[in-house]
Amino acid sequence: MTNSERAPRKPAPPSRGKIAERLLPGGEEPDPRFTLANERTFLAWIRTSLALLAGGIAIEAFTSDLFLEPVRKGLAVVLLLLGMLLSAGAAVRWLRVERSMRNKAPLPLPLIVPLLAGAGALAAAVVLVFILWR
Amino acid sequence: MAYSQRPHGDPGLQPERTSLAWGRTMMALVTVSAIFLRWLPVHGLPILLLFAVSSAAALAIYLTQRRRYGASSRGIHEERVDADVRSVLWTAFAAVMLGGLGIGVVLVG
Repeated sequence: MTNSERAPRKPAPPSRGKIAERLLPGGEEPDPRFTLANERTFLAWIRTSLALLAGGIAIEAFTSDLFLEPVRKGLAVVLLLLGMLLSAGAAVRWLRVERSMRNKAPLPLPLIVPLLAGAGALAAAVVLVFILWR
Repeated sequence: MAYSQRPHGDPGLQPERTSLAWGRTMMALVTVSAIFLRWLPVHGLPILLLFAVSSAAALAIYLTQRRRYGASSRGIHEERVDADVRSVLWTAFAAVMLGGLGIGVVLVG
């Protein structure tokens, strides 16, 4: 690819730093408002995952006289695992959205949405079954 | 507090909203730290590791708020904001660590 016929008018963009240039290569700087909006969405996901993490730690102590130990531990691990997956998934999604915006490509579908919905429904079903059959 | 010169002219106040979102996340981390401490009698000393990670992350956000707000309001002014890869990856890393340590505490403790 040559650029010789279309000489760039703008001066060379300042360096974005090593990590940014490796993880978000190519493309053009998107509208700064979109970059900030993407960051806020990432933070909303992180807060969701923090709630799940706190719930996972608390469920063991809260429910010690309600659930049998395996159910209690199982639910705690499911919540903690979900919190972990969501926070890692939020970072991956942030990167993918940022890449799409740089390349003016359509935004990727959020895989963490069905993950959260599915796991939430599963946890609710486990608790429901346990409470009904206890 | 009045600025003699407005830091940016964005009517949507994007830098402020983003800074507040970081602030909310910091408060969530402080709350989560307190919840971890609350269950110290149940889970034992290992829970202090989780407390350390979440309060360190909250402190790191607190100490970098001014830098982030400055960068984003300057960026709106210049129509170019560099994606804050460092802050995002560190925050996600801290949350993943909390999850991993939490699973360890629940299974061992």
